[in-house]
Amino acid sequence: MRRLWNLREVSTVAILLLEILFFAWYLWPEGNRPHPFINAPNALLILKYSSIYGIAAVGAAIVIISGGIDLAPGSVIALAGVVFAGLFIEAHWPLGVSMLAGLLVGVATGLVSSALIVLVKLPPFIATLGVMGMARGAAFVITEGRYFDVSRELVGGWRPLGIPADWVAPLVMIAMAVLFQILMTRFQWGRAVFSVGGNETAALFTGIAVGRVKTSVYLISGLLAAVAGVVLVLVQGQGKADLATGYELDIIASAVVGGASLAGGRGSVAGAVLGTLIFGVLRNALPQIPGATFYDRMIVGLVVIVIVVVDQLLLKRGN
Amino acid sequence: MPLESHSKMSHKSMAGLEFRDVHKSFGAVKALRGVSFTVEEGESHALVGENGAGKSTLLKMLAGILRADSGEFYWHGDRLDLGSPREGLERGIGMVYQETLCFPNLTVTGNIFAGRELTTGGRLREAEMRQRTRALLDELHLSIDPDDVAESLSAAHRQLLQVARALAFDCRILVLDEPTTSLTDAEADHLFAVLQKLKRRGVTLLYVSHRLPEVFRLCDRITVLRDGAYVGTFPRDEVTHDHIVHAMVGRDLPPRTVDAARHAETPVLEIDGLTRRPYFTAVSLSVHSREIVGLFGLMRRATSRDVLIRSRKERREAEDLVHAWRIKAPGVEVRPDTLSGGNQQKVVLAKWLATSPRVLLLDEPTKGVDVGAKFEIHEIVRRQAADGMACLVVSSDLPEVLALAHRIVVMREGRVQGTLVGADATEQAVMHLATAEHRDAS
Repeated sequence: MRRLWNLREVSTVAILLLEILFFAWYLWPEGNRPHPFINAPNALLILKYSSIYGIAAVGAAIVIISGGIDLAPGSVIALAGVVFAGLFIEAHWPLGVSMLAGLLVGVATGLVSSALIVLVKLPPFIATLGVMGMARGAAFVITEGRYFDVSRELVGGWRPLGIPADWVAPLVMIAMAVLFQILMTRFQWGRAVFSVGGNETAALFTGIAVGRVKTSVYLISGLLAAVAGVVLVLVQGQGKADLATGYELDIIASAVVGGASLAGGRGSVAGAVLGTLIFGVLRNALPQIPGATFYDRMIVGLVVIVIVVVDQLLLKRGN
Repeated sequence: MPLESHSKMSHKSMAGLEFRDVHKSFGAVKALRGVSFTVEEGESHALVGENGAGKSTLLKMLAGILRADSGEFYWHGDRLDLGSPREGLERGIGMVYQETLCFPNLTVTGNIFAGRELTTGGRLREAEMRQRTRALLDELHLSIDPDDVAESLSAAHRQLLQVARALAFDCRILVLDEPTTSLTDAEADHLFAVLQKLKRRGVTLLYVSHRLPEVFRLCDRITVLRDGAYVGTFPRDEVTHDHIVHAMVGRDLPPRTVDAARHAETPVLEIDGLTRRPYFTAVSLSVHSREIVGLFGLMRRATSRDVLIRSRKERREAEDLVHAWRIKAPGVEVRPDTLSGGNQQKVVLAKWLATSPRVLLLDEPTKGVDVGAKFEIHEIVRRQAADGMACLVVSSDLPEVLALAHRIVVMREGRVQGTLVGADATEQAVMHLATAEHRDAS
């Protein structure tokens, strides 16, 4: 239990709770009007949209722990979503097969990234920057500016496995978070990811298959981004090329706020998911504050810096 | 536990580890030119030589990181064909490297089992690994917790962690590459105690070091390499320190000369009452032109270095000497990272000198450097001082400070304990100041 839920994640939960308390107080309505922030539909809304970031952040955290970086998730979300929606709507493929094809997009981009990093030995930043551009470009080529309206085929009341549509995204996120948290903390593969991120030379010298570990990490990141893309299209109802623009930075920021160190070797999947919730709450609550609309991106940026700086200071004191 | 199993075979006296006519070239550079020698089972064997002599290359082959161009390795008469680091480990060859190759983010247990975790279906058997780690730490008398994170350990414990790691998997020969480079004397003592204990249990040791006193203290036989060739193997009891140095460098080192201090006009570098708690307090010193001043401290090497860094800043603010420290590209068509440690250090030195600075600050200039290169670096520094440069050498290597400095400033616990000049600067006097209980004891 101690490994599964360590101190750093507890502090991320604390930040999240403080944030919720702050907005509950700040947005407290006058008189008997309902609270604009603290209500069940709004909570579900936050959870639903954070989940897209959250699913991809699981992959981002794993990549960052391995000492790498993946800039491609936003574009991969779009490409996977577009491929899924295009096959389903235009080519009339069955829903399940179209989804599977969308997921394969993530496997493919992940393979390209890892080949560039492991075989060509490009720095991860450059390799995934290239993949990011190519994936986004491919999404535009496929759609030619159109959008694929999935919602008209999935009329209201669509319930995969009896799950309400709104719950699909959060449940997928929770499933991925739990699965990979366990893989990262309790399994040899996860330990190898931490080892490679902690000291790559030492990992090589101890006989860890560093190349294979890195390949697995970018594959998973690509696959999870594709999962997020398919889920996003299901949630929003439309597949278009400009989906998830700029998501990669929020995804990386979530992982970092959740305790991942860009130097590698440190971080957690659960922390990254909690990090996306911190941003989800911000994105939801800030527009409700009169006059804050134009400031919300600034505030999000500021929050990243403050949390990471405080974390560093606490770490230093801890040592 | 793993250590016990060694005692069974210690009575056998067949050839242990044998190197047979090993060759290796990197491009035009011949790193090894037909090296053959044998490490007997159960002995502790030193491998010495200047940087570039081929020791590291040989070790990397033994670890399965490099492959020989030709030649063979035998272990108990069986040919070793090591294609990867893992194969070396599986054949019972444990390596302890110079750079502490530990995982700072993993626990002690995680480090010891890194890459070889005990698992069932990919799942880590944490409890069992922790238990085995604890037993191993107890055997090595290491007072650390299996759950401690490696980065919270001292340099010595991190180094000993590597020994533990090698032993966790029934290693029969332990190869140590400069293991004491980052250790203090007390820490090195602990390492030696552990190594002596292992030796008594029949573990074969192959010990690579520049520090001859350590070699003489620990090893039964000493093999010398020079320029990639085998020079000879000498039983410890039949040779002296000077014999080995001679075999390593192929020449005698001239006796050290300490010139009398010469006082020039005004000091070029002056530090007055510099304080930065908790690192150092009221440090004052001056360096004149044509003078080499040694800054010596025993423990907490950071202390003297911090003074240096701090004074460098001060100087930047005070005088406009920044230009003297500007890095210039070396004019020589060599990539420094392809050179061995000693040569790298010389390139760095040459680079600074190319800017003809007035003050030269040297921070452990010969750390991890072999005797020959060390001597050359000392000569360069002496020449520069004779030409009028002011040199401040920070070093925890006492013989170096004694050999080089005109004046020695001794620090202890962040304070200057005293300054010794010329004939007063004996080893005893310096050590007395560096270890004295009270300031007025000197």
